[in-house]
Amino acid sequence: MPKRKLDPLPSAAFQILLSLAGEDLHGYGIMRQVAEQTDGRMRLGPGTLYSSIQTLLEEKFIEEVDRREDARLGQERRRYYRLTSAGRKLARSEAERLADLLRPARAKKILRGDYV
Amino acid sequence: MSEKIYALLLRLFPSHFREAYGEEALQLFRDRARDEKGFFPGVRLWLDLLSDLVWSVPREYFHMQPALVGATTLRRLDGMPLFFILEDESPRLGALLLGSAFSLAAVGTISVLITQVGSYHTFRPWKFERQRSASARSSSFKTPATRAVGDAGDKAAASRQPANSTASLPPGDTQPGDVQSNTLLFEDRAESSRPQVPPSGAQNAVAATNRVVNEDATLDASERHRVIVGAIITLKEHYVYPDVAQKMAIALLAREKSGEDDKVTEGRAFAALLTRQMREVSPDKHLELVYSQDPLPQHLTEPTAEELARYREAMEKQNCTFEKVEILPSNIGYLKLNSFPDPSVCRTTATAAMASLNHANAIIFDLRDNHGGEPEMVALMAAYLFDHPEYWYNPRENTTQQSWTRSPVPGNKLADKPVYILTSAGTFSGAEQFCYDLKMLKRATLIGETTGGGAHAGVFHRIDDHFGMGIPETKPINPFSKTDWAETGVEPDVKVKAADALETAKKLAQSKLAKE
Repeated sequence: MPKRKLDPLPSAAFQILLSLAGEDLHGYGIMRQVAEQTDGRMRLGPGTLYSSIQTLLEEKFIEEVDRREDARLGQERRRYYRLTSAGRKLARSEAERLADLLRPARAKKILRGDYV
Repeated sequence: MSEKIYALLLRLFPSHFREAYGEEALQLFRDRARDEKGFFPGVRLWLDLLSDLVWSVPREYFHMQPALVGATTLRRLDGMPLFFILEDESPRLGALLLGSAFSLAAVGTISVLITQVGSYHTFRPWKFERQRSASARSSSFKTPATRAVGDAGDKAAASRQPANSTASLPPGDTQPGDVQSNTLLFEDRAESSRPQVPPSGAQNAVAATNRVVNEDATLDASERHRVIVGAIITLKEHYVYPDVAQKMAIALLAREKSGEDDKVTEGRAFAALLTRQMREVSPDKHLELVYSQDPLPQHLTEPTAEELARYREAMEKQNCTFEKVEILPSNIGYLKLNSFPDPSVCRTTATAAMASLNHANAIIFDLRDNHGGEPEMVALMAAYLFDHPEYWYNPRENTTQQSWTRSPVPGNKLADKPVYILTSAGTFSGAEQFCYDLKMLKRATLIGETTGGGAHAGVFHRIDDHFGMGIPETKPINPFSKTDWAETGVEPDVKVKAADALETAKKLAQSKLAKE
C-alpha cells in the first residue's frame, strides 16, 4: 500500500499527533481538536484527515483502539485513535525542530516573547 | 440531500480509500453538518470539503501503488507457473489521461506520416537557415529572394543562393546580363550563357535520394501539401510579424482545402499562387515563395579564403567595377559604376575615384549597368554627397547606427554639388537603394528609365530542393514612404531612354551650372 513520506512531517500530521497527546479521539474529535489548537486556522477535511491518519497508522505513530460510542454524538460506534510512544517522540522532535527554527528569529527580535 | 451529494463526491477517491475510510468520512460530514448549522457555517463546511477534495483526491491517486494480493496464498509448485494478481483497482486517473494523450499522439503521428510519406525533407529548412548568419550585415543586396515571382523567379532563386562560389560573395546581385564581365565570380548565375555548374557529389546524392521534382514532373496533392507545410513552418519560424504568419498559415491551408490549389501542377505557377494567397492576407511585396527548376543548394557556406582571393583578383581586374571615372566638359564629374563592390576589397578604389572627382562642379553617377552589391558600399558612396550624417534607409536592416551615412567625408567638396543619376530598367537592387534614397532625400536628379524593382528585404529560406521563400525578418523604418521600390522600381525624375540618359544629364547639368 501507499508509502507516504512523513519526512518532513506535514503540518496536518503534526497537528493530528498533537491533538492525540491529551486523550484518545475519533476522527471528528481530532478534526475539532486540531481546529481548536490552531485557533480555527486548520480545519481538516475528511480526505486530508483520513489519509494522514492512514499514513500515521501505517508508520505506527498512532494506533486504533476499540470502537466505541461517543455519548455526545449519538449511538454510532466510532474508531478511536491513540498516540503511540513513537508518535509522541516524533511530535516532540518536530516541536523541537520548530523551536530551533524560531530561536534565531527571536534572537534577531523578529519574534517577540519567549514562548513558541 | 447534501449528505448524498457528499457521498457521490466521495466516489472520486480511489476504492481502497473509500473502503477504509468512506464510512468515517461520511460520518464526519454528518457530525459537522449537525454542529455547523446556519448559512455561513454551511458555506464554510462546503468550502472546506471542496478544497479538501481538490487536494486529497489527486494525492490519493498519486500515492496509490497497486498491491499484490493473493501472493502469499499461492503455493509454488514445481513446474507450475506462478501468477500474481493486482488488487481490484480501476486505472488511475493520471494513467487514463496519459494513455489518452499517447493514443492521440500516436494516431496523429501516423496520419501525418501517411500524408507525408517519402517527403521527410520538408522539415529540413530549420537546420538550413541556422547556418545563415542572423546578423543584419548578412543582408547584403546579393541575398536571395528574387524579382517578380514568375518572372526570373526560378532562375534567380537558385542563382542568388549559389552552392559554392558566391554564397556570401559580394557583389552578388548581378544579373545574367553582366556575366561577360563577371564570369569568374558569377558562374552560377550564367544560366543564360553557360550550362549550370553541376552540383557536388554530395549534392548529387541528396538530389538522388530526394524526390526531385524535375522540369517535366507535375505536382500532386501530397507534394503541394508538403510545400504548403514547409512554407507555414518557415513563415512561423521567421516572419517578422508572427500574427500575420498565423493568419497566412490559416489562409494557405483553407485555400488548399477548398481545392483552389488542385489545378496547379506546375512548380512556378504553384509558387506564384501561394505567394498571391499570402499577399492577400497581407500585401507584403518582400514575402514570396519561389520555385527553382534547378535544385536549390543544401547549405550556404561562408566563402573560403580561395574564393575571397578569387573575388579580390576579379575586382582588381575590373577596377572594382568602377568602369569610367572622368571629368566631362563644364567640369562635370562622371562615374560609371557597374556594381557596389565589397568595401573590404574596394574601399581604396572607391575613395580614389571620388577623390579624382572632388573638384567637379556637378557629378553624374551612371548606374545603368549596375545591378547592386553591398549595402556598405552604397552607403559609403552616398556619404560623399552630404555634409552631415543623413539617415540612410535600407529595406533589409533594422535601424542602427549604420543607418546613417558617415558624412562629412574629410576633404570632400561634393556635398553641395548637383548630382545626377543615370538609370535603366536593369538598374537593380543596391543600385536602386542608391537611387531611391537620394531621390527621397532630394539630393539627386534621376534620369533614364524606371529601375528594375529589386528590394529583396527578405532572407531566403529553403523549403526543399525546388521551393524556397524570401521572408522579411526585420522591420526597417522607411521615413520617406510606405513602400520602397520592390517590384515597382524607382521612377526617374526625368524619363528618357537609357541610351539617351547621359546626354540629357549633361545638358541638365550644364544649364544648371550656367545659371549659377
